[in-house]
Amino acid sequence: MKNKIKVFRAMHDLSQEGLANEVGVTRQTVLAIENGKYDPSLILAARIAKFFKVRIDDVFLLDLIDE
Amino acid sequence: MRNRADYRDGGEVFMKRNSFYLCVAAVAFLEVAIFWLSVELADPLPSVIAIVVGILGIYLAKRYVHEVIEDERTEKITEITALRTLQITWIGLFLFALWIIIEALGDGVRHFNRQIGIFGFRLLVLLCGIIVLYVILSLYYNKRYGA
Repeated sequence: MKNKIKVFRAMHDLSQEGLANEVGVTRQTVLAIENGKYDPSLILAARIAKFFKVRIDDVFLLDLIDE
Repeated sequence: MRNRADYRDGGEVFMKRNSFYLCVAAVAFLEVAIFWLSVELADPLPSVIAIVVGILGIYLAKRYVHEVIEDERTEKITEITALRTLQITWIGLFLFALWIIIEALGDGVRHFNRQIGIFGFRLLVLLCGIIVLYVILSLYYNKRYGA
């Protein structure tokens, strides 16, 4: 699953640690999600999208070719 | 244990992540010291009490950590690691138990090496117990999560 967290973080001028604190996870988890090594749960994906005030599918893109 | 990294918020004391890790290290160090004391005294009771108190202490300290030290990713890692450890340990011990039983029976049933053989069979019973526990927990969690 691809995501645009890095882009949204840059738009909000937010560090990985900052986003992690806002959504209640560790910085390593944000890093793993950004690098595509870990797919977040629906709840965490919703929390991230809510924090950026966008829809989940604006942040996360299901790449069916890769899946 | 408190250091400058700890702070108060609305009267409640919070602990930083690194302070918590220092606490865990201190408890581990104490556990080793008490284990050594138990060996010297030839009494297992201090060790048993220290381990229970240590686990409770870490559990309580964890509640005062303000920063996130565990999340869904670390939980997933723990789940997978625990499962793989169980699988590898079970298979390893099962092969070891079979090896022991075959060694014990190697000279025929009449020359059965009783001590080694019984150890092998006890190990097999223990492994069966682990499977039973696994099935019971699996049924419980299946029920809990809606199956």
